Amino acid sequence: MPIENIFAAVSAGSRELRITHRMQPLADARVLRPTQVALALKLVTEMDLLRLKTIARLHARGLPPDMGWEDLLQEALTRVLTGARRIPEQIAPVAFIAGVMRSLRSEHWRRAGKASKRYAASDYRARGTRELALKDTAPDPERSLIAIEELKAIERLFADDPIVLGIIDALGEGLSAGQIRAAQGLSQTDYDSARKRMRRCLLREGLTCRPK
Amino acid sequence: MQTKVTQLFPETALERVLEALERELLEATDAEILEAARDLGMKPEMKGSAAFLGLRYPSGPRREEFFDPQWMLRVLNDPRRISLAGRSLPPGAEGPRAPSARRARTRPAGRRPRPPKEPTES
Repeated sequence: MPIENIFAAVSAGSRELRITHRMQPLADARVLRPTQVALALKLVTEMDLLRLKTIARLHARGLPPDMGWEDLLQEALTRVLTGARRIPEQIAPVAFIAGVMRSLRSEHWRRAGKASKRYAASDYRARGTRELALKDTAPDPERSLIAIEELKAIERLFADDPIVLGIIDALGEGLSAGQIRAAQGLSQTDYDSARKRMRRCLLREGLTCRPK
Repeated sequence: MQTKVTQLFPETALERVLEALERELLEATDAEILEAARDLGMKPEMKGSAAFLGLRYPSGPRREEFFDPQWMLRVLNDPRRISLAGRSLPPGAEGPRAPSARRARTRPAGRRPRPPKEPTES
């Protein structure tokens, strides 16, 4: 209906005003997700995406519920695709994207820590006293509690495998592979087969559709 | 000789464990990934496989997308809700009666019982 006719119909109080022509949605104007763009640009393969999903689910552990593994992965890919983070030539894209996710996680905790300190400082100013509080180097108790719970959740994944549990404890203490083998009394074969079991369990946990 | 005491914060331990597990996952081969997916009943080679949920197509909506997490925490930790849920029934009050397990079957209306068959002489 031409626009003049619409005005005429409205001013005449016509009740038979009907929309006779609808605009068809543009089929090509699809918004792609960063993962789809990365696939289309051949930055990663489908298997790489699955690998990144398992890593994203791992790094999303302990983060608040409004920051899921999908957000972490899509944000990391967006930063790479927009050029905010450039992949060095000698590093594989998957390893680099995993590193970006790790730094996003650290960034989140840094921001959360700064916010709590800002609130504490504003309290002092409100009371009109001098800021004499010593800088506390110990981590936030809430974050400590979350970390303990997440460590327990990881240990529960390997509850029926004491060798893997021992390896995870040692990894938490920062021991190297050689030190772990020596401390646990494991041969190279035992150590490698335990790592394989650990990888398989982690992959199963990472590929599941359950929420984190 | 003094023993060196080092305090290990759980955050540090978690970061180290996550970093080590990330390395393990980066080293996982394609065959291992496919094997793990098949263990879960997924077929990543098929179009629309559940393995790509959240990657190629969005997973279902999360409640955090609709509700503020802090608001949800306040609602869930509301002492009134907790006291209501934990309140026991007063003595003498009975809960809703459960339906009896065996009830007499009512015959549908309009259907009469058939007369017993008479023995035929053969």
